[in-house]
Amino acid sequence: MTAVPIVVVDDHAIFRSGLKADLDDRVEVLGEAATVDEAIAVIHAVRPRVVLLDVHLPGSPAGGAAVIAGCTDMLAETSFLALSVSDSAEDVVTVIRAGARGYVTKSISGREVTDAVLRVASGDAVFSPRLAGFVLDAFGTAAVAQVDDELDRLSARELEVMRHIARGYSYKEVAKELFISVKTVETHVSAVLRKLQLSSRYELTRWAADRRLL
Amino acid sequence: MSVLGLAGGAGTLLYAWLWIMVPTVEEEVRDAGTPVKARGSRPLRSPDPHESGADDSPAEGRRRGLRELLIGVVLLLAAALLIAYRLGADIRWGMILPLAAIAVGSVIAWRQLDESRRSALVNSAGADRKMGLLRVCGGLVLVIGGLLFMISGTVAFDIIWSSLAASVAVLAGVVLVLAPWGLKLWKDLETERSARARETERAEIAAHLHDSVLQTLALIQNRAGNEQDVLKLARAQERQLRDWLYRDAPDGEGNLSERIRSIAGEIEDAYGHPIDVVVVGDAAMTPGSEALVLATREAVQNAAKHAGGQISVYVEAGERPEVFVRDRGQGFNPDEIPADRLGIRESLIGRMNRHGGTVTIRSGPDGTEARLTMGAVERDRL
Repeated sequence: MTAVPIVVVDDHAIFRSGLKADLDDRVEVLGEAATVDEAIAVIHAVRPRVVLLDVHLPGSPAGGAAVIAGCTDMLAETSFLALSVSDSAEDVVTVIRAGARGYVTKSISGREVTDAVLRVASGDAVFSPRLAGFVLDAFGTAAVAQVDDELDRLSARELEVMRHIARGYSYKEVAKELFISVKTVETHVSAVLRKLQLSSRYELTRWAADRRLL
Repeated sequence: MSVLGLAGGAGTLLYAWLWIMVPTVEEEVRDAGTPVKARGSRPLRSPDPHESGADDSPAEGRRRGLRELLIGVVLLLAAALLIAYRLGADIRWGMILPLAAIAVGSVIAWRQLDESRRSALVNSAGADRKMGLLRVCGGLVLVIGGLLFMISGTVAFDIIWSSLAASVAVLAGVVLVLAPWGLKLWKDLETERSARARETERAEIAAHLHDSVLQTLALIQNRAGNEQDVLKLARAQERQLRDWLYRDAPDGEGNLSERIRSIAGEIEDAYGHPIDVVVVGDAAMTPGSEALVLATREAVQNAAKHAGGQISVYVEAGERPEVFVRDRGQGFNPDEIPADRLGIRESLIGRMNRHGGTVTIRSGPDGTEARLTMGAVERDRL
């Protein structure tokens, strides 16, 4: 198996070098960038399979979402995995809605980041417990979609998968727990990601939360 | 402008007015920079929301309105006096002028008061609320109306109107001359004030960072050799800083989510194992959820003591709050707990049962998960 080509985008040089040292040889770092403009240029130049993208980046407009917005022409071949230290739902969900395929916290180990990169490279979505928590918060834990296509609600199965991820289960553990295949778990997670990106529900929740209506 | 200038020099006045009223670049920049809200929707928690930038927007608007109101009142009073004088009423200038001097003197004194004392006075008078403002306006209208009516009893009505027009014209001239100057002065004051507020805020942030982050960094350098200590310090500091940066003011304190976060923090500090807390929803504390928090504490503590490593806590707060505590330890058999070990039996299961809750413990080689449910009787075996 050949190594997955990636680009690391983060404004802290120390963090970049630490991350590069932690990643194992299943991935190959082709380039690095520290700002939004640099990132867009590097990504277009080296055409990586996956971009590890910090949510907070200097530039104007700033942030990881701006990098994705600048690379929309490449979304078919390049996937973005958001990395963040931020706890705020706003930051994370913004970058997910811009088109990132997943989100992991910066405190996870190099092996876990590598696993997440490989998962994103194979077209799946990566949810951390915290992101799953955001999703459950935004979509509600009770509302269940009758039809799978409904964007504003999660189906019973998706809800169950999100709950397990929020409880700290890996995809494999979720699959074992729910007596389904890992592939099915991945399908559910991708469906949730799609809903998170396309639904207008999250905006509503944010609106309500900001005004203390919830 | 030149056309207006021809029209009796009004344009010149207008120009001067605009020159004074249009804010300078610096004022504009400062105005824009004042609210902390520019930094995303979650504001930095400023140490005292009543000081610094927090009172800028609405209170300032109110104050400005009040100022205009006061100017209006003074001018109207003067107008009334002048009218009465022109109508030949017997006005004892010997008494009014000293009174006016006193009034002007008190206004000057009023302006000497610093901002906070002035707004405190305004607040206690109730003039800051909509109703208060309405009351003041209503009172003014009544008083002035009454005065006019009183005068109209002694003089012919049409004379009143013509002299009213004359005095309004004179007053407009006076306002044109004096108001910009006064307003300019006010603007300077306000610019100065907001600069001070920003400075205070910056100092607060610096003080906070010094007390927390810098101290911790110093500690970490001291104990660089001890990995466990460094990890513990870094985790604790990270949690504290996150609290400060991302959490909204104290509204969540005492809620279920807050309580569980804080016990997780305590245990993380005590045992040095990272604990991830994910909370969905929130609920106010009840006797039942108090028991849930204490039981959660026991479960998390057990996990930290016996399993170690990464511990996940997931809270789903709602009508029937549920807590999942998961560790990656070697597992144990819940049925084989010795009778003298009260931790799980009493503090966890017993406590939950007494409050109408249930505990399900599943343990295996991949770790242990305790599921704590409060509320309805639960038969679901996960």
